[in-house]
Amino acid sequence: MRSIKDHMALTISLFAILFCIESLLVLDRIVKSYENDLKENYSLILVADRSVKVSDISHIDTLIGSVEPIDAESILKEIEGRMSEESLSKIRQIMPLFFSLKLRRYADRERIEKLKSELLSVAGVKEVHIFEKVHDRLYSMLLFIKSTLTLFGLLAGVVSILLLMKQMTIWQFEHKERMQIMSLFGAPVWLRSGVLFRLAVVDAFLAFAAVVSTMLYLSSNSEAIEFLQSIGADPDLLFRYDDIAVLAAVSFGVSLTCAAWVVARFKEEQ
Amino acid sequence: MQKVIEAAGLKLAYPRHEPVIKSASFEVETGEFVFITGASGSGKSTLLKSMYGSMPIYGGELQVGGIDMGSISGSKLYKLRRHIGIIFQDYKLIREWNVEKNVMLPLIISGFPKDVCRAQAQKLLTHVKLSHKSDKYPMELSGGEQQRVAMARALAHNPFLILADEPTGNLDDYSSQVVWDLLERANEELDTTILVVTHHIPEMLSANYRHLMIENGVLYEIH
Ligand SMILES: Nc1ncnc2c1ncn2[C@@H]1O[C@H](COP(=O)(O)OP(=O)(O)O)[C@@H](O)[C@H]1O
Ligand SMILES: [Mg+2]
Repeated sequence: MRSIKDHMALTISLFAILFCIESLLVLDRIVKSYENDLKENYSLILVADRSVKVSDISHIDTLIGSVEPIDAESILKEIEGRMSEESLSKIRQIMPLFFSLKLRRYADRERIEKLKSELLSVAGVKEVHIFEKVHDRLYSMLLFIKSTLTLFGLLAGVVSILLLMKQMTIWQFEHKERMQIMSLFGAPVWLRSGVLFRLAVVDAFLAFAAVVSTMLYLSSNSEAIEFLQSIGADPDLLFRYDDIAVLAAVSFGVSLTCAAWVVARFKEEQ
Repeated sequence: MQKVIEAAGLKLAYPRHEPVIKSASFEVETGEFVFITGASGSGKSTLLKSMYGSMPIYGGELQVGGIDMGSISGSKLYKLRRHIGIIFQDYKLIREWNVEKNVMLPLIISGFPKDVCRAQAQKLLTHVKLSHKSDKYPMELSGGEQQRVAMARALAHNPFLILADEPTGNLDDYSSQVVWDLLERANEELDTTILVVTHHIPEMLSANYRHLMIENGVLYEIH
């Protein structure tokens, strides 16, 4: 019988890898959803002397989402009573057209400035105004956290892989004798490495189940939910069922690769 | 009589070493009982290894069960091994398996159902007088007992050929007796071909046997 200790080394390394991946997935979702909010708060107003359609300018930048004319008549209506018909029609003649440009996604200031100058070179566009409603300090912080966590995740990944390799060398040593004897009695590869693969599958499952339960626990934990709400993120972002597929694939993929490595390294002794 | 082993000018060498066996030419027919003797380090184990495909053929020819060992492929070798019973000097029992499962090994490999394997293992453990130890692990047995387990394992799948490397090398008299008795019985009752490497040939043996000897890398037949 194999003890719990035999499973620990591989399961813990796998758990660390999976947990990093899951954290990055969650953070990526939070940043994306935040970007989505931010882009709503950005608006660009084009002032032009002729009609501008989205098809005219969409080639400039992939950021451009939609262009909608702003109804100037409603403004004119407001002042209708206070002006003569004559002056109104004059105003109508010289008044430019206004368009509201919506972004497809959020972008930093520099990119927006570049977009602005490119829009100005479009025929007919007279002016471009940028209206910004929020500061993007929280966004910069999120980006910072994301890059730190990516770095940390990479480091943890490297350490875990080193741990995995050490465990594989132990496995190789532990299973060599049995595989050797089985081979001398004519056992095919799949039979003599069966135990190893069973171990790999069990360990992968343990690590996978541990990460999924941790995430399920967090997604129902009131403190975690409050924290997410406090930074304006949707608590539902914490765990997605799509993640299960990614985590399972990585867990079983890494674990089975390790077992296959041990099997491939096996050589019958003389 | 069918030939079980045919060697002609067989040469065996470990990589980057002088040949251990310089010339071996002999034939073994079905049902023969053959002893191979020689000084320590003369190449007895090496010769036996070549017969179960653990030693590359350096020169000459060797056929086992009609199969050319010089050109045998991986899967063919595994198939051949499933019909050979090997007894090693160091027993080579699987330490994490109990005695019964160790005896079941060749039957498990051949894909027999569990209950068939178990029944056969129990029968053989009775033959080697160890049925009361079937739940024990190899480490819990004496050397003699471990070799008797290995003996039971070598016979479990009714092999056509048994290759034994100093099977009683350092065993007590009782265990040696059990091992020789069983080898003789397999030879007499099942016509199993037997090749045994040994220091000295036991006196109590009643079977007719042949005696091959290795000296200075050359194999001779002693009449
Ligand atoms: N794996 C090996 N690599 C190199 N030389 C070996 C190896 N195994 C055995 N030898 C050498 O081959 C010779 C024959 O060994 P062996 O067949 O084991 O002798 P014995 O007749 O005692 O069974 C010895 O000189 C031994 O040192
Ligand atoms: Mg030897």
